[in-house]
Amino acid sequence: MTGGHRRILVVEDDPETAGQIVESLTTSGYRVDLAATGNEALSRGLASDYAVITMDRMLPDIDGITVMRQLRDDGVAAPVLIISALGEVDDRVRGLRAGGDDYLVKPFSFVELLARVEALGRRSDTVAKETILRVGDLAIDLVSRTASRRGKDIFLFPREFQLLEYLVRNEGSVVSRAMLLQHVWDLHFDPSTNIIDVYVGRVRRKVDGQQAYPLIHTVRGIGYCLRAPR
Amino acid sequence: MLLVKTLTSSTFKLALIAIGTFGVIVSAIFSYVYLSTSAYMRVQADRAIMTEYASLQDAYERSGRDGLTALVRQRVADRSFADNVYLLADSSLAVLGGNIAAWPSQVTPSGGWIEFRSTEPSPGATDRPLLRAMVQTFPNGDRLLVGRDVSELDSFADQIETAVISVVVLIFVLAAVASVLVTRRTVGRIESINATSRAIMLSGLDKRIPLRGTNDEWDRVAENLNLMLDRIETLMGEVKQVSDNVAHDLRTPLTRMRGRLEKAYHGNRIAENDQSLIGDTIADLDAVLRIFSSITRIAQIETQARKVGFRTVNLVEIAGEVVELYDAAAEPAGTSLTVAGDSEVLVTGDRDLIFDAIANLVDNAIKHGRTGGRVVVASETVDGRPVISIADDGPGIPPDEYEHVFKRFYRLEHSRYTPGNGLGLSLVAAVARLHGARIEMLDNSPGLKLRLWFSGPAG
Repeated sequence: MTGGHRRILVVEDDPETAGQIVESLTTSGYRVDLAATGNEALSRGLASDYAVITMDRMLPDIDGITVMRQLRDDGVAAPVLIISALGEVDDRVRGLRAGGDDYLVKPFSFVELLARVEALGRRSDTVAKETILRVGDLAIDLVSRTASRRGKDIFLFPREFQLLEYLVRNEGSVVSRAMLLQHVWDLHFDPSTNIIDVYVGRVRRKVDGQQAYPLIHTVRGIGYCLRAPR
Repeated sequence: MLLVKTLTSSTFKLALIAIGTFGVIVSAIFSYVYLSTSAYMRVQADRAIMTEYASLQDAYERSGRDGLTALVRQRVADRSFADNVYLLADSSLAVLGGNIAAWPSQVTPSGGWIEFRSTEPSPGATDRPLLRAMVQTFPNGDRLLVGRDVSELDSFADQIETAVISVVVLIFVLAAVASVLVTRRTVGRIESINATSRAIMLSGLDKRIPLRGTNDEWDRVAENLNLMLDRIETLMGEVKQVSDNVAHDLRTPLTRMRGRLEKAYHGNRIAENDQSLIGDTIADLDAVLRIFSSITRIAQIETQARKVGFRTVNLVEIAGEVVELYDAAAEPAGTSLTVAGDSEVLVTGDRDLIFDAIANLVDNAIKHGRTGGRVVVASETVDGRPVISIADDGPGIPPDEYEHVFKRFYRLEHSRYTPGNGLGLSLVAAVARLHGARIEMLDNSPGLKLRLWFSGPAG
C-alpha cells in the first residue's frame, strides 16, 4: 500500500464517536479526514482519492445512503463502509444495494472497525490473481480447492476451505466472527451461541494440529487472525 | 340517554329514510286507487243518467210533451226510481212535471251537465242532497232535467279518502315505532360494547363484552372482540414478563460491571488487574448488547416487515448448512448430527431467518440431548406441506411445559445454569409466525421431536 492509499474519509456527526474512530485509525497508520455532515462528505469525497470511506447512515443534513449514491454517481469508486445504528439486516442490505461495500452496526468495537477497513482497503488494491496462496508453510490451491502444509494435504470440507481461504486472503489482519459469517456463510446476523468459535476450532485442529507452529490465532473479544511467525 | 342515542344513531336515520321512501310510495299507490275509484263511480252514475235521459227523450220524440209528462209522472211514482230527480219545464221555466218543486235558481237552463244542491232535504236526512243532472232543451223550448242524488257517491269517496289517509298515517306510526325499537336494540348492543371499551380504557383488560346467547351477529361481534381482548391481554402479559426478565437479565451483568468498576475506582491502579477488569467488562457489555439486539431482532421479525424479502428457498439446503456448521459443536459432545428426508423441500421465506431458527433448534438439541446421542434434522413434504423436524434422544421436555418454552426468556428450571439467554425459542416462534408455520412438539421417546410445519409449497 502506498501512502496515498492509506487515506480514509470518516463521515460521522457525533463528535465523540468521530474522535474515537479517527484516533484508532490514525494509530493504525492511516491518514484520516473527517466530515461531520453530508455536504462536507460530498465535497471532501470528490476532492481527494480515498482508500476507504466510512459512512454514518444518520447525518444531520443528507442521509448517508444518499451521500453515497451521489458519490458513486460522481464516479467515486472508493469502497464504502456503512455504519448504522438502525440495526437489522434489512437496513444493512439496503445500504449494500445502494452501493455500499460493507456495513457495521453500532455499537461496534474499534478492532472490528479496523478489521473491516483493512479488508476493504485491501480489496481496493489487490490486483494479483494468484491461483495458489501461501502463508508460511501453508499453501492453498484456489482451483483444486485443496490445502496443504509442508506438502502434506489437509482434508477440509468445502465450507472449511472457504473459511481458510478467507483467513488467508486477509493474512495478517484481524477477521471478526461477523465478517466470517458474512463472507463464508452469507449470513447477516449474529448467532447468539459460540458456534463460530467451535467451527474455527475444528478448522484450526486440522490446519495447525501437529505442526511446527500455529497459523490461526485467536484475537480475544473479536475474532481470528491468520499469520506466519515472524 | 338511551333514547337520545337512539334518535341520533345512524341506524335510526337510515330507518327514517326508509320509512320516508316507503311512505311516499304507499301514498302514491293509495292516491291512484282513490282517484281511479271515484272517477269510475262518477262515470257509472253519468252513464245511468244518460240512459234514463235517452229513454225519456225517446218518449218525447214518440208521443210529444204529453207522452213525456205521463212518463215522468209514472217514473216519479215508481219506487225503484226514487233516487232519480226529474223536472220538465216549458220555455218560461214553468214546471210541467217532476219531483222538484221549482226550476232550481242556480241551474242555467241552457244544457249539459250540472251539479247542484237540492232546495229541500231528502227524506230522513238533515242536509240537502247533492244532485248531478243533465239538462237539455227540446225543439219546442221545453226543458228536461234528469238527475241523480250523488250524495252517497260523494260520501263513499270521502270514506275511501279517510281510509287511505288513516292507513298511511298508521303505516308511518308503526314504521316509526318499529324503527325506534330496532334501533334501540342495535344501539343497546353497541352501547354495551362501548361501555366495555370505556371500562377497559379506565381500569384494565380484564373486562369482557357480555353475550346475550342469541347467537346472532351481535354475539359474534362481541365474541370476536372478546377473543381479540384475550389475545391482547396475553400479549400484554408476555410483554410484562419480558420486561421483568429483561430487567433481570440486564441488571445482573450491569451490577457486576458497576461493582467491578467501583471497586477499581476506589482501589489502587495495578496495570495487570486493570487489564483483566476492562476485558471482563467489555465481555459483559457485549453480553448485554447481544441480549439487547436479540430482543430488537425478535421485535422486528414480529412486525412482519421481513416478508418483503421472501423468496423460494430449499429447506434441505439450509438444514444441510446448519448441520455442517453445528457438526463442529456436536463432535466434542460425541453427538451424531445427521440430515434425513427428501432432497428438495421448497418453501417461501427468508433464508437468514430460517437458518437462524433451525440453528437455534439444532443448538438446543445438541445442548439438551444426551452425550453421545443422536440428533436428526429431517426435511420432507407431508400431505403437500413442507415440514422440517429436529429430533434428539435426550431427556426431553414434560408435555405440560411445551406451551411455555416458546415464551421469551423462558427456561426450564434445570437449565437455568446452562449458557444461553432464553431467547432462542422465542426467536424460533417469531420466525415461525412470520412464515405462517406451525410448531409441533412431540415425545420422541426418548427425547424431544420438534416439527415446523410450513403453510404450503413455494410459489
